Amino acid sequence: MVEAAGWIARLQRDDLNETDGLEFDAWLAAFPDNRPAYRQTLDLWQAFGASAGEVLAQMETPARTPGRRVANGGTGAPTRRWLVGAGGFAVAAGLAAVVLPPMVRKAPEQILSSGRGQRRRFQLADGTNVDLNAESRLSVSFSRSERRVSLEDGEAIFDVVSDKARPFTVAAGEHTVRVVGTQFDVRNRDGDLTVTVARGRVEVRPSSASDRVFVLTPGQRLDIGAGGVGTLQAVNPQEAFSWRSGRLVYRGQPLARVVADLNRQFVDQVVIGDPELGAIPITGVIVLDTPQAVMSRLSLMLPVRTVTSERGLLLLRK
Amino acid sequence: MSPGANAGKRDVTSSEPPETRPQDSPLVAAFLEKRQTLLLFLAARTRSMARAEDLVQDLFVKIRQMDPAAEVRAPGPLLYRMAANLLVDQARSAQRTERRDDQWRRDTRPTLGGEDIVEGPGADEAIIGRERVRQLAEAVAGLPPQMGRAFRLHKLEGLSQAQTAQAMGVSRKMIEQHIQAAVRRLTQSLRS
Repeated sequence: MVEAAGWIARLQRDDLNETDGLEFDAWLAAFPDNRPAYRQTLDLWQAFGASAGEVLAQMETPARTPGRRVANGGTGAPTRRWLVGAGGFAVAAGLAAVVLPPMVRKAPEQILSSGRGQRRRFQLADGTNVDLNAESRLSVSFSRSERRVSLEDGEAIFDVVSDKARPFTVAAGEHTVRVVGTQFDVRNRDGDLTVTVARGRVEVRPSSASDRVFVLTPGQRLDIGAGGVGTLQAVNPQEAFSWRSGRLVYRGQPLARVVADLNRQFVDQVVIGDPELGAIPITGVIVLDTPQAVMSRLSLMLPVRTVTSERGLLLLRK
Repeated sequence: MSPGANAGKRDVTSSEPPETRPQDSPLVAAFLEKRQTLLLFLAARTRSMARAEDLVQDLFVKIRQMDPAAEVRAPGPLLYRMAANLLVDQARSAQRTERRDDQWRRDTRPTLGGEDIVEGPGADEAIIGRERVRQLAEAVAGLPPQMGRAFRLHKLEGLSQAQTAQAMGVSRKMIEQHIQAAVRRLTQSLRS
């Protein structure tokens, strides 16, 4: 089944060629189970293709898909504060937080998450504050000797309460961020890690196998790409933290990245119609009010126009 | 591939059913032998097996138009190159493909010969029930955010892998991995 899913995904390549076909042919013939496994996966894939419009419409129906849509209204600033205690945390109706049952003799793990358009603040049991950016997921596991959190996907600002006896570590993919008492932002999206430090000292270990450690001091930002190459630079940390107050600050990032960030903040999605547009560098402050307002302000500065389509707000070349 | 050119080819096939040809060229023989696998290959990019059958037929038409005297050293690679090109062309003219003349397909499919594995006429018009749609939507909503978004843009909104990668600001490779993981999870969550 794993391989069948891999083949379905591979056969979607835009530049599909005969090598893909021949290897598919060979795989299908390799084991008798491969053909029925592929057929079963294919059936599901085609069912999604045949009903794509209906499935999309269904996903847009708020009542039917709880947890996906934002309970407190789209772009809502983090007005509410959730107190996370040792034995669990307050669960309000529609809240996308889950408490996993504690494992025997293992530190209990809590999952904190935010949906699209949601920015949320949590206080952990040690008093550490965590702001989660939209579409983020953090698991928290505190024990007597250490405080461990894992940012599986997303971005968060940590304001860590100092406790020398219990170091605070953030696992982000294969990278580890280790701190004592400090304030910093971690962004772990699509295999790229960015850490920005406002206060204190942060150590970043690119992978568990590596013995190289980056030490960051206030005003420094470290970017580690998928290839594992780190770049350290001086920045204004408040820019990296600005999402917490409903602003996004960019200095030369491509429009595709800006749109990907916006699409995490708003239910209404923006789609880049012309691939070349995605590469345009963006510098400036974006105030997160509505996607329409953001795009109309952007279109004053960029050679783009927006068209409302069934896929969302479509960005086209002017 | 223009609509007009395509229509022309179709006329040729419907008046000349493939099985009436006395001798098959090596390429035609290879096609007939690989037909089932080619169908499954093409079906990865169609909404139904019936549409995949369409494409197999298109492929066969192209093969028959080639010079039978031309020596083909490696029919397998050529077949898959033609099949892959067909899918890439189809993606370029996706809208036209969507508006295919279904009547034509129903008329000509029986002339394909070989064993009939089509899931019945009009399989792609089969209505997917409201309950099933709800299950599918829920399963997609239950995917991790990035994976779900990749699946939604690519599969549900019909963006190419490159367009999806552009929209999300990640590599095409990453999109393929997201799609693979999404399909695996969806298969698991929808089986139970």
